[in-house]
Amino acid sequence: MKKFQLGEFEEIVLLTVGVLYGEAYGVAIKGEIETRLKRKVSVGALQSALRRMEKKGFLISELGETTSERGGKRKRYFKITALGKKAMDHNMETRLELRNQIPDIAFDFKLC
Amino acid sequence: MLKKIGEWIFSFYCHPDFQEDILGDLEEHYRSNFKEVGKRRADLKFFLNVLLLFRFSLLRDSWLSLNLIHTTMVKNNIKMAYRSMMRQKFYSFLNLTGLAIGMAACIFIAIFVKDELSFDKHFEDSDKIFRIAANLKFGDNVFNLSFAPDPMAKTVKEEFPEVEEAARTRGNSTQLISYNNNYIRQDHITWADQEFFSIFSLPLLRGDRNHLLDEPNTAVLTETTAKKIFGEEDPLNKIIRVNDELNIKVTGVIADIPDNTHFDYNMFITMLNRADARQNIWLSNNFTTYLKLNAKETKEVVDGRFPAFLERHFADQVKQMMGVDIKDALASGNLAATYFLQPVEDIYLHSNMDYEIRSSGSIENVYLFSIIGFFILLIACINFMNMATAKASIRAKEVGVRKVLGSLKRQLINQFLTESILNSLLSAIAAIAIVTLLLPYFNQLTNKEIINPIFSLNGLWPYLAMATLIVGLLAGIYPAFVLSSFLPSKVLKGEVTQGKRAGWMRNVLVVVQFSTSIFLIIGSAFIYSQLDYLQHKELGFNKDQILVINETQLLGDQIQVFKTELERSAVIESATISDFIPATNTYNDSPFLSETATTTDEAVSLQIWYVDEDYAKTYDLKMADGRFFSKEFGSDSMAMVLNETAIKRFGYLENPVGRKIKSVMENGNTYTIVGVAKDFHFRSMTEEIQPQVFFLGNSTGSVSVKFKANMTSDVLAASESIWDKFSGGKPFEYDFLDDIFASSFRDQVRLKTIFSVFAGLAISIACLGLFGLAAYVTEQRKKEIGIRKVLGASMTTLLGLLFRNFTVLILVSSIIAIPLAWLYMDGWLADFPFRIALNPFIFIVSAIGTLLIALLTVGYQSMRAARRNPVENLRCE
Repeated sequence: MKKFQLGEFEEIVLLTVGVLYGEAYGVAIKGEIETRLKRKVSVGALQSALRRMEKKGFLISELGETTSERGGKRKRYFKITALGKKAMDHNMETRLELRNQIPDIAFDFKLC
Repeated sequence: MLKKIGEWIFSFYCHPDFQEDILGDLEEHYRSNFKEVGKRRADLKFFLNVLLLFRFSLLRDSWLSLNLIHTTMVKNNIKMAYRSMMRQKFYSFLNLTGLAIGMAACIFIAIFVKDELSFDKHFEDSDKIFRIAANLKFGDNVFNLSFAPDPMAKTVKEEFPEVEEAARTRGNSTQLISYNNNYIRQDHITWADQEFFSIFSLPLLRGDRNHLLDEPNTAVLTETTAKKIFGEEDPLNKIIRVNDELNIKVTGVIADIPDNTHFDYNMFITMLNRADARQNIWLSNNFTTYLKLNAKETKEVVDGRFPAFLERHFADQVKQMMGVDIKDALASGNLAATYFLQPVEDIYLHSNMDYEIRSSGSIENVYLFSIIGFFILLIACINFMNMATAKASIRAKEVGVRKVLGSLKRQLINQFLTESILNSLLSAIAAIAIVTLLLPYFNQLTNKEIINPIFSLNGLWPYLAMATLIVGLLAGIYPAFVLSSFLPSKVLKGEVTQGKRAGWMRNVLVVVQFSTSIFLIIGSAFIYSQLDYLQHKELGFNKDQILVINETQLLGDQIQVFKTELERSAVIESATISDFIPATNTYNDSPFLSETATTTDEAVSLQIWYVDEDYAKTYDLKMADGRFFSKEFGSDSMAMVLNETAIKRFGYLENPVGRKIKSVMENGNTYTIVGVAKDFHFRSMTEEIQPQVFFLGNSTGSVSVKFKANMTSDVLAASESIWDKFSGGKPFEYDFLDDIFASSFRDQVRLKTIFSVFAGLAISIACLGLFGLAAYVTEQRKKEIGIRKVLGASMTTLLGLLFRNFTVLILVSSIIAIPLAWLYMDGWLADFPFRIALNPFIFIVSAIGTLLIALLTVGYQSMRAARRNPVENLRCE
């Protein structure tokens, strides 16, 4: 379904937002992805993914408290919405379904 | 700093809703980076992040929902511009023509300047290639040579580690080339070292680059020369004959040498064929020597090595030939020799040595033409500005209505700018058409071979596009501000707030136009009269009715018989055998000593001309004292004839005839003066007359013939038939002396033409503007004129009234232009040893001429206004 469309990176971001429940703001998400997945994440890619998903309705956000280490600027915390969860589940299910449809013979590598 | 800029850029493009938290995130990253990698890296990272954050989903709303350019308004503006142009076809036409001509002139100048600046830059590593030049002085004789001694190239390469490659060329002559008994007179032949082709990356079409000129009797041709000699045959390894005495094998063919190169050779014969190339003489400079250095910065190092180098190598020969120690001679100032390197890229524009290979450009002209181009464009822009502000009253109502309907000032400015950019765009298109049409004439005038200068790969189109935009903006910005600042309440009431300021500004601009025009007119007047003076100055010899027959050395022993046959012809008055032709730039000098001289320091360098007994008679040379050579005197082999300048230099003020002069070089012979010839301009008219000596001698390269008036075709027919009797089928080659003479003024004639063309353009563009302006002014004052006429004003009073303003403007322009022109022309004339005085008459005539042209331009409009029936002017609808 078109409305549940999620890119690979978007999916990771969405999952990480869920993992970091309550603490999911830009720097934390970036750090979490980088340590867990051992891959570099650019601020630009992350932020644009976040805003894109917020626009699609998978995420909602609210501004948090100010801290001095951010030069007096507030954090924006993200949370998964119900639609976001649906999209995530839908994504996972379709993949699992596809995975299960693969005949055993396709994994029979001896012939190769 | 970088962080601040980054923040600024970010907040410029980012959606305001997202700014705070993303900036906060960035700040957090920044601080952690700061601790880990330090300020500089952290700053850089911050900045990079900002650039990478430029994402579609983060942009401001306004950037997404609105078009970057308001296309509807642009369309509307263009439509308005079109309508206003169409409404006033006459003014628009004046504007466009002026601007198009100005732009075309500017494009031509840009083409010229670009080509002049491109010289010798097409070689690989051209910035590492240098030529050795020398400033030499012995006694009173000063030389600025682009030559070096024959062992220089070899020795410099051995001793200076900075020199990667060294090569020489010598000569640039015309020889008779034959292949299968077909004779061709080939020009621009030089002798060169094999290494020449390693220094200059001339594209090789046939042959092996490493073995072109490394054996005796080999030659390299350019493509065109090869075609000329061999047609479609393959020239490689074919044998050609040079001057019917030498067989040479063609070992290579190179592509034609590009026109923007400081040498113009068509054929290279190996230097191994010249015995004088390995004589090891340090005191005679005859070889153009090129070096390729390992880096362009090492030029100074090499320049610094020359003084020690000179002492090391020159000492022996200085001692031997001049009898002095080189150190003493240098210390006493009697001998000075400075060798230095000239970057090959600078030779064409900056070097002005004696014996340059081809007539070179000058950086002054490049500057001068650039400035002229700029001013012509300025004049055209000013036309546009003046017209636009002058027409203001017509547009005022429009501006008022627009403002009332809610137009912002910015939108009005946009509208007027669109109008002027559209104008300059149309003019640019017209200018390109003009340039394309006139390009052949331009090439002819500047002696260049430029094709497709605008739209080729390295063409001018990017500059042209930029210039069009800039001209449009420049010409439009002032009127745009003036027009858009009208107050609607006043304008609509009918008070045309013309403003004193706009009128004043217009006057200033007109003064700029006419100062430039007057300057150019004075300039061309002076160049014209200086040239006229040189071309008609008393030469001291007869240049008309002389035919020069070339390549007569081919006749061998029969040349005397040939000459006798010629003299017998009815149309020929006399004939003489000599290579030395006045007004050609032959150099052949050697030092001589007077009887009283004790050291070689007192030597005078004389131009040596070998002639026969009939030379003075044929060329109508006048004798100041004594006699010319004559067959009646048997002892003339040790006799010499000097010119007056030489006599003065030797100090033989009284009774020079019979006194003796000794040669420094060669055998040290002593000669007796038998006559003194009056000075004549034996070289270019732009040079001083140098000391000169005639010897009786064998120089059989050409025979000059003086023929009877109006017998041009007869003398050609007669000479050719006699030539055919002796030559055995070799071609008959000739020049007329007056043609040679005329071609020696080529550079000056070119400058004159360019100057007068531009002066003409400047004055006509300025007058176009003035014409429009006058039309407008008279239109504005038509009611005043009507009333004055009714009250009895005469025609003259009315004309005077209309002329007064313009006359004052032109007088002011003259006052500005005349001193500038005076300064400039004085500087220009200073280069000529024979020059005209700065005649105030020319200044005045130029100024008055301009005034007359301007008044004629204004006159048509004024006359019409003054003669019109006052009823028409005063009637009110």
